Amino acid sequence: MNGAGEFELELERELHRILDPISAAPIPPRRAPISGGFTKRLLGGAGAALGLKLATGVAVAAFAAAAAGVATEVAVTGSLNPTNWGQSVTKAVQTCKDNLRASGTRGIGPCVSAIANQHGEQVSDSHKSSDARGNGKDKGKSDANSHDKGKTTGNGNSHKTPGSGGGGGHP
Amino acid sequence: MRSESSDEERVDTAPEYRPGSEADFERLYRNSYRRILGTLITMLRDRSAAEDCTQDAFERAFKAWKTWRPDAPAEAWLHRIAINVAINGQRKERLQEVGALLKRVGRPTAPADPAVLAERSDLLVALRKLPPKQAAAIVLRHFHGYSNREIAISLEVPERTVASRLAAARARLQDLMEGTRAGQKNFG
Repeated sequence: MNGAGEFELELERELHRILDPISAAPIPPRRAPISGGFTKRLLGGAGAALGLKLATGVAVAAFAAAAAGVATEVAVTGSLNPTNWGQSVTKAVQTCKDNLRASGTRGIGPCVSAIANQHGEQVSDSHKSSDARGNGKDKGKSDANSHDKGKTTGNGNSHKTPGSGGGGGHP
Repeated sequence: MRSESSDEERVDTAPEYRPGSEADFERLYRNSYRRILGTLITMLRDRSAAEDCTQDAFERAFKAWKTWRPDAPAEAWLHRIAINVAINGQRKERLQEVGALLKRVGRPTAPADPAVLAERSDLLVALRKLPPKQAAAIVLRHFHGYSNREIAISLEVPERTVASRLAAARARLQDLMEGTRAGQKNFG
């Protein structure tokens, strides 16, 4: 029991030897808590990157919708004038660019990519529909015939948009 | 530490703190910072880690300050938060030590920090080998002079188990220190 008492005394002496000097040290100012809480943390760091991506996504989606509108207009009116197309694309890209700029993103890569995809799909659809319409009677003939027909009846743009071969027949 | 300050200065016997009051919390900080740091130094790798954890503990305590109930001694309540922060800090330390060891492989060792050398002691080495709550119990009783009730609040254990925890901690500490001394004699 005496040994235990001695050990406790030794323990206390040693603790004071080590820790007493801390009493002389100055107390640093208290660290200010991070204000803003959950929302700020969410919007900062990775949250900001996520937010930017979301904003970019929304802008590109808006642009895609605009591009779809252009394509629809072409399909409905049958106007395939490259000048009109160029103006529409420029307008759509500008809109997308403005949206992206507002969200803090630079460059028009996503916009161009989106309209190119949209245009590609439109062209592909037109090809398909042209084949279906143009070859309605000549279904038994080869595909080459349909191209020939397009060339003979087209308005000069048929090589770009085969659907134009039957342009007069479209609404 | 506590031995140098009178009982009147002790924060846990002064019931004048109001939960949620920033001015009162600042006073609590100034009154108890050194004691909390002293406890954490015995639990963590070095003084800078203990200082960092002490600040973390006060930051957490400030967030919870509105929920503090004056029936629990404020400093014991702070110790409870600080000990939990230190236990989490120890886990991080272990991970950092593995990373640092991997980085050090093949490189010459850096010269020891004089502050670290000053705090080198067999007792500290042994305390840091104890389970964190046992080390804290030793410091709370034998350095801060806490009562069983205050230790119970700090360690989140029932008051009736404090005595047995302390006895176990002392026995383990004695074994560790005797082992260290025997090792030193054999080397000598």
